Amino acid sequence: MFAIYKQMWLVNWAEQWQYRANLLMYLAFWLVSPIVYLAVWTTIASAQGNINGLTAPDFVAYYMMLLIVDIATSDITIHIFAYKIMDGSLSNELVLPIHPVLQKVLVNNLAFKALQMLALVPIWLILYVLYQPVFSITAVNVLLAIPAIAFGFLLQFFAGTTITCISFWTTRAWSISDFYSNIFRLMAGQFVPLALLPAFMQTASQLLPFRLALYFPVQLLLGKLSIEETMLNIGLQMVWCVILFMLFRVVWRTGLKKYSAVGA
Amino acid sequence: MQVVNKSLERPTPSAGTDPIVVEGLSKTYQVTDREGGFGAAMRSFVKRKFRDVKAVQNVSFRIGTGEIVGFLGPNGAGKTTTLKMLSGLLHPTSGTARVLGFTPWERNSGYLRAMTLVMGQRNRLSWDIPAADSFLLNQAIYRISDADYKRTFDELNELLELAPIIRKPVRNLSLGERMKCELAASLLHRPSVLFLDEPTIGLDISAQVRIRAFIKEYNRRSGATIVLTSHYMADVTALCERIIIIHHGQLKYDGKLADLSRRIAPFKLISVTLGECSDCDLTPYGTVVPSESNEASAKHSVQVKADEVATITARMLAELPVIDLTIEDPPIEDVIERAFHE
Repeated sequence: MFAIYKQMWLVNWAEQWQYRANLLMYLAFWLVSPIVYLAVWTTIASAQGNINGLTAPDFVAYYMMLLIVDIATSDITIHIFAYKIMDGSLSNELVLPIHPVLQKVLVNNLAFKALQMLALVPIWLILYVLYQPVFSITAVNVLLAIPAIAFGFLLQFFAGTTITCISFWTTRAWSISDFYSNIFRLMAGQFVPLALLPAFMQTASQLLPFRLALYFPVQLLLGKLSIEETMLNIGLQMVWCVILFMLFRVVWRTGLKKYSAVGA
Repeated sequence: MQVVNKSLERPTPSAGTDPIVVEGLSKTYQVTDREGGFGAAMRSFVKRKFRDVKAVQNVSFRIGTGEIVGFLGPNGAGKTTTLKMLSGLLHPTSGTARVLGFTPWERNSGYLRAMTLVMGQRNRLSWDIPAADSFLLNQAIYRISDADYKRTFDELNELLELAPIIRKPVRNLSLGERMKCELAASLLHRPSVLFLDEPTIGLDISAQVRIRAFIKEYNRRSGATIVLTSHYMADVTALCERIIIIHHGQLKYDGKLADLSRRIAPFKLISVTLGECSDCDLTPYGTVVPSESNEASAKHSVQVKADEVATITARMLAELPVIDLTIEDPPIEDVIERAFHE
């Protein structure tokens, strides 16, 4: 079984290197927003002294950590899979004895993530020199962050694959995905750290799963959470992963019955 | 193209169990239906109209081990839809199918490992990397041991002359070269059932001949069961003893290709080249067929009933200044065309 993943990784890695310019554009797309927020909030906080108790160095540390976690837990299924359902090229994968999503798309996601991380290194180092963030990272937090990031990614992966499967019914799954991304950015703490949201939105963000994929791992790595809070959040992540996985399975199976394998 | 060994051979299913059994298979698509124009677009936005398209209706057949069956029909007849159901891509609206004992659309991995689907216009190779890398990926996906992989690859290489082309990125290959690699990638796991949808489409004549010879040889060596669709009659006549004709989703004919001519078109073509004859009229002998030749060669063809060939030939030889005379079966394209519309 490992051999399959290894070969899929190698092939996908090779394919993505063929599209270096594309890769850089994606990376830029991914990094522009957090870097802009980093600059804006840091400037405002410097001018005012603090915003609701958060100082400029707090914002710097928050967004510098977010840059890493965002890439680690993000999901690109809609970009690499929706078109296959729409144009019928999914057929090529359905005849193979592997799962097109739970194996192939998953590996593509991870291979892309690895490349993004490599490309992030120089950018992150430049920002580090410019902003000089101060982190108080402990070994325990880093260890706990491993499952937190893994489940954060799986959570986004199952949400992303479920949304992508809407392509079985409509050719406009992208707009739904865009809507989801915007809600995600707001409720997961990318526009602004969740502590600065109005009270009702903070309540909403607590109930929704989005913060578990971004805000929670960032706060954990920044040392803002107790062990109890961390374990509770990891438990919540697992529950949401199961719910979203079940949802994906239902949508995938129903979608396949609906699939018309167009064009081929 | 000579045979060097028999290693593609695999055990055949026990006697009496046909690898492909299809009973009452039907597929109805629901498609949106709207007229052109802005008004129609707005109305369709509010309320969509759907229309049922019966792509395949109540089709039944069985195919035995090692058979090569041509699946024929005009565009939109339901051939590809049937093939897609048999390869597990589509769920039928009703009916059953068992292929190698599996229900295809359950997509059991045991089934997917034992069959292959080749679509002429589709690719299972990644465009950006050499075919050799895609082959290795297939080796991993199908869990082929190194020894089996090497043996099968060597054999496919011998039949398809792959070595010079598998190191180039697939996007730089010609259509014919790509098709060879597609076929190889589809066969590395030695499937015992092959669904080939237009395997020679778009290829030049020599590439078509090579692919055809390859399919025949693969079938001979491996005993694989092959269902193939093609618009090229040369594919069908070269490969398929048996054909299934489908039109408007319904099965029209299932039997030997040779019998089809006798059943559908019990007539022959008598072609004559005539000497000096300005007012020769061929209509009393049979139906005059527009001939390909020009006026100068004075070659004419008449279509006559098969059981009258001898009498009419004798009459023509006696009554006309015949220089040359040939008796032919009608072209298979015509026979099949007639079968579609009967």
